[in-house]
Amino acid sequence: MIDWAAVTPALILASGAIAALLVTAFHATRTWRWPAIVSTVSLLAASAVAVATGSIDRLTLVLTLVVVLGTFMMVLAAGVMDHEESMPPGELHFLLLSSAAGGCCLVVARDLVTLVVALELLSLPSIALVGLRRSDLGAARAAWTFFLLSAVSTAVTVMGVSIVYGFAGNLAYDQVATALAGSTAPARAVGAAVLLTVVGLLFKAGAVPFHVWIPDTYRGASVPVAGYLSVVSKSAALGALLVVLTTALGPVRDDWAPVVAVVAAVTMTVGNLGALGQRDAVGMLAWSSIAQAGFILAPLVGLPGTAAVAAAVSYLVVYSLANLVAFTTVAICRRRWGGTTFAHLAGLARRDPGAGLCLAFALLVLAGFPPAVIGLLTKYVVLLPPVDSGYGWLAVVMALNVAFGLVYYLRLLATVLAPPSEEVATPPPSPSPPYTVRFARAAMIAATAALVAASVYPDLLLGVL
Amino acid sequence: MSALVVAVLLPGLAGICLALARAVVSARGAAAAGAAVSVLSLICVVASWSARDGAYAGEVDHPWSTALGLHWHLGVDGISLPLVVMTILLCVLVCWSLAADVTSTTDDHEGAGVVLVALVLVIETASLGVFSALDLVLFFIFFELALIPMWFVIARWGDPGGRLAATRFLMFTVTGSALMLVGFVVIAVTAGTLQIPTLSDLPDPLTGTVPLLGGVAIAVGLAVKTPLWPLHIWLPDAHSKAPTVGSVLLAGVFLKLGTYGLLRVFVSVVPEPAARLAPYLGALAVAGIIASCLACLREHDLKRLIAYSSVGHMGFVVLAISTMSEVGVLAAVFASVAHGLITGLLFFNAGWLKQRYGSATFDALGRGLYTRVPRLGVVLLFAATASLGLPGLAGFWGEMLALRSAYEPSPALDRTLAWTLLTLAALGVVLTTAYFVRVVRRVLQGAATPRDDDIDLTRTEAGISAVLAVAIVLLGVAPGLLTGVIEPAVGAIVQVAP
Repeated sequence: MIDWAAVTPALILASGAIAALLVTAFHATRTWRWPAIVSTVSLLAASAVAVATGSIDRLTLVLTLVVVLGTFMMVLAAGVMDHEESMPPGELHFLLLSSAAGGCCLVVARDLVTLVVALELLSLPSIALVGLRRSDLGAARAAWTFFLLSAVSTAVTVMGVSIVYGFAGNLAYDQVATALAGSTAPARAVGAAVLLTVVGLLFKAGAVPFHVWIPDTYRGASVPVAGYLSVVSKSAALGALLVVLTTALGPVRDDWAPVVAVVAAVTMTVGNLGALGQRDAVGMLAWSSIAQAGFILAPLVGLPGTAAVAAAVSYLVVYSLANLVAFTTVAICRRRWGGTTFAHLAGLARRDPGAGLCLAFALLVLAGFPPAVIGLLTKYVVLLPPVDSGYGWLAVVMALNVAFGLVYYLRLLATVLAPPSEEVATPPPSPSPPYTVRFARAAMIAATAALVAASVYPDLLLGVL
Repeated sequence: MSALVVAVLLPGLAGICLALARAVVSARGAAAAGAAVSVLSLICVVASWSARDGAYAGEVDHPWSTALGLHWHLGVDGISLPLVVMTILLCVLVCWSLAADVTSTTDDHEGAGVVLVALVLVIETASLGVFSALDLVLFFIFFELALIPMWFVIARWGDPGGRLAATRFLMFTVTGSALMLVGFVVIAVTAGTLQIPTLSDLPDPLTGTVPLLGGVAIAVGLAVKTPLWPLHIWLPDAHSKAPTVGSVLLAGVFLKLGTYGLLRVFVSVVPEPAARLAPYLGALAVAGIIASCLACLREHDLKRLIAYSSVGHMGFVVLAISTMSEVGVLAAVFASVAHGLITGLLFFNAGWLKQRYGSATFDALGRGLYTRVPRLGVVLLFAATASLGLPGLAGFWGEMLALRSAYEPSPALDRTLAWTLLTLAALGVVLTTAYFVRVVRRVLQGAATPRDDDIDLTRTEAGISAVLAVAIVLLGVAPGLLTGVIEPAVGAIVQVAP
């Protein structure tokens, strides 16, 4: 029996991907508009279907919407690259939608083989996306790193899955859970199998020690693609991890909870350390996204409690929105001022108040500081499960990392609000922004407005689960 | 909507409006508007206080996030009202001094002067919010709201090297407050509520290891802010590199966020862990008094000296709090207010001297200010004597009550220890006198070394000095004005003996 409510969004995206590719193939000249329209229609249709059917449950619905709407926003942000001859629009939209279809499958997967297939469907197009810009050696190198590490991690996951299959004799999550609960197999062997299984997901989520690909890959990729990786790909992996740990691997919680705690603590610390030295917005956001993944992993130690699930998901949603805003503003800045270093961003709030203020607010959300109340509240929310389940030390590490993270967010914030630096204050390359930039700006403002609204009425986001 | 909500939010909203309209507003106009808004806010506070019925004046309690049990819960009682009024008063004076500041009105095409006023107003809202929040997370939100604006004030308008000092200030306080948040999480998990009145009135108070650890986290966070020795090392640089308005707000208002927090979310919320930690707090407080006095005796920069002296005065406040007695609470609030007024005046004064002579080191100031700038010298003398606790001025009652509370502590503090601390703190009073006398001799007296920039008090400076001096004398002569407000509310913090 096929659960159409679960697979329809993925199917719509997959069809949309093919349509986007074909529409460019049959178009006489290079067109950015038509594939973008096809993508927009299919993404909106997919989200409408997901909302109408309600997906499998509330959790999957929220995760699906994060994947679909996150992709939508990055499709809009990708429009700012329409002047780059080396960026093929058809392929770009095809790959984005294919990968998003993989993301949709990943969060609705309730079977380990589906999980692996969906993981590959998410990964392979995104590798191609990273190396998409023609004759760009850096991009090719980034894609190559990403590909190698991705392949290895998936192989490890497949190995874990096969061992779990050996113990459980089944691959469906609920039956794996039943089998593991009554299993007589040595606990250590089961623990090892479980850890191997989640390696692929941790890799996509960018958790330490599987984070090494992130900085290079994000910097090599175009800005919207980096945003896509940091939001959609990461959210899909973390969502799937949440589902796997709660359902399939719930009975062996004692095996993985300490590991998750250590991984979370190390991930946020390493991410913050890496971000500290960055003087490029994309590099900083890459490292910060590693640190943020640690904050999303931390509440998982409170699983299977519903509060832990709600905490992780609300943090994930807020992080995604803020990161989407940040990457969109950076993409716009790159289009208008030609770069993403701090020197290019200096005084952005004076030169382009809309983008500057949106970026400032997104940074405050990521740092978790008022006036971005929602960022602070989600930090509070993710502290609850560790304290509640006896991981007080993890809560202290998280607190120290909140303080630590503020240093680099504040540095960029001060840069954005500072007077513009002299060399970038020259006339911008594109004085009157084309319609694609305006769409990207609209998306950026809408997402910021959502964050502001959630700061005033926190229940809008915190009450979703 | 309660008048109190208006009082809290009005300055911040006005600040945002000013920042957005900085292209069309002059710095002077913005400062005047800031002062006006602060006065309005004061009127709202007074209105809600005079209309009070129940424990908290102007209390509002709306569920804000049902998912978290977070409430938009504000209210003012006798503990917070004096601090609220002091905060508004200082903000009005800061705006007044900004309105008259020549450097911010000329040579200002970027609207920087307006932004400075806006930041001051946001800081005002944050501080008022802290003093009136009755929900732990709301308290935390306001506590954090003040930090980033203050970072900008120190980093952009401070001395060269201000950015480093600002970042150090920020890192210390943020680390502390993040730990405090963990403590709040512990309380929320164990007690199941975030409402401070409910928590302080729990039928069976939180005891055991977990609340103790939560209490430690909260105490450390607030100890950084207060600051308690040895966590004070961020303070001298931040205070001395900050512009005058920043120093005034840092010393006058920010440090009170820490001491008020110790009363409101530490002693009242986790009384049992607080009682177990009280001896350590008391000992560190007295260590801070002695250490800061010794540092002041060797200090050659007036601003740094005042900054260090703040550590000592806060030591008296924390000593009073650690006795966990009724007199202790009274002393803590009284000394906080007195310190806010006196140190506010001292920092204003140091700022004016620095503006004239380019630096506040003793060498730059020269000797004989009595002869060179007589009225300015008298104001400095007045502030210094108030700070060293001359009877008849506000500072006396703060220290006096603090020592009194240590003489008769609650059972939380061992009597032998309390009396030892009392003796050492009394020694601190002597040392305080010594270093202020040294300032008087070194800067005010002596053969005058006249300079071209010897300009006596301007009209604004005289006005600001007069307002603060009147308040200091008033509280010194009639301390009942303040204790009468505080005393009925002491029961909200510690158990009152029947």
